[in-house]
Amino acid sequence: MTQYKKTELMLDKAFDAQSCRHLIAGNTTVLHCHHYTALYTQLAMDCSMLDAKALLAECSEDAWEEFLHGYYRTHNITSVRDRISLAEQTYAAAGLGRMRVTCAGPESGEVTLEHSHVDSGWIKKWGQHSGAVNYIGVGFINAMFAAVFDRPVRTFVATETQSIVSGAPCSRFTVAVR
Amino acid sequence: MSINRKQIISAMSRIEVSGNDDGLIPGFNVFVNMMPAKFWNSFAERLTRRVPPDMLEAAEFLLVNAAHECGYHTGYGIITSEEWKAVVEPMIEKAPEDVLHGAFAVFTAWGWAKSEIIELVPGQKMVVRAYDYYEADVVSYGASTKPCAYLIRGIAAAFMDLAYGGQYDPTGKTGLRTFQCVQTKGIECGDEYGEFVITRATA
Repeated sequence: MTQYKKTELMLDKAFDAQSCRHLIAGNTTVLHCHHYTALYTQLAMDCSMLDAKALLAECSEDAWEEFLHGYYRTHNITSVRDRISLAEQTYAAAGLGRMRVTCAGPESGEVTLEHSHVDSGWIKKWGQHSGAVNYIGVGFINAMFAAVFDRPVRTFVATETQSIVSGAPCSRFTVAVR
Repeated sequence: MSINRKQIISAMSRIEVSGNDDGLIPGFNVFVNMMPAKFWNSFAERLTRRVPPDMLEAAEFLLVNAAHECGYHTGYGIITSEEWKAVVEPMIEKAPEDVLHGAFAVFTAWGWAKSEIIELVPGQKMVVRAYDYYEADVVSYGASTKPCAYLIRGIAAAFMDLAYGGQYDPTGKTGLRTFQCVQTKGIECGDEYGEFVITRATA
């Protein structure tokens, strides 16, 4: 049986004393709380005239694609398996939850969240919700598939099919090419 | 003032934050996340540039409100944390004024804004300057006519709520929004620093 050694995420963290900014892998990174993510999400849901739910997902996709692509390039990560593992580890390191990519290809994929910051934060603040709220997670998944398969952003679209925030034991997403 | 900003920034900027086995970061009575600043900036800027002019004020209010609630609840979590008790509390001689100065040192240490209080009228008014803040990164060239430090506005007002707005209310029904903040200068607008004036809420 083939032995596979998991590639460990190595985040280069620094605090710039001059600007007082935190940098992770060269990206300005900030700490925020579930109140902030929940209220940004609620704002996106309320602002239907702009389809701000899609906007929130796109902003997440753009930020995370740049981060993941930069990481793969800097560390010369080329295999799909390593790239997916490192993306899952990035999601957890950011405090966004525990993600498992159960299948992935250049056309489609399936992703499960066993824990989710956005869902748990929403529940902690307001209780359960009847529909999906994790647009930030959708953006991350879209970014991950783009970065893993060296495709541009907006190539993939993840759809949340069940949600922790609605009472499901885990959140599930299907991924397809747009 | 007995608050040693340099010491607080040095100590609090070193706090190691990372996801646990569930990929979550519970701390300071909240779930914390750590995302690229670009994400937050992109959403705020794209939203405020795309809404019709008559909706801009409402959109900005909601962005500030997100920070206001975040600052109120997380701010309370910070000033009651073990880290605060170890580093900042021994420096406090006069509350709540020293607490406010300490809170802005922590605000700086956590990378939200390199900021300090330059004027404080207890219970009434506070003026804050920010010499570097990630929200200004939306402008790379020239000067914007639209100030965009929504996070600082919300957090600064929240800190005044915590200092002078009465007992902390975890439901946010009382104590929250007793103060409001106006941004009067911005790095993104071509000024040398951002400036924020916090006064009692009028509405």
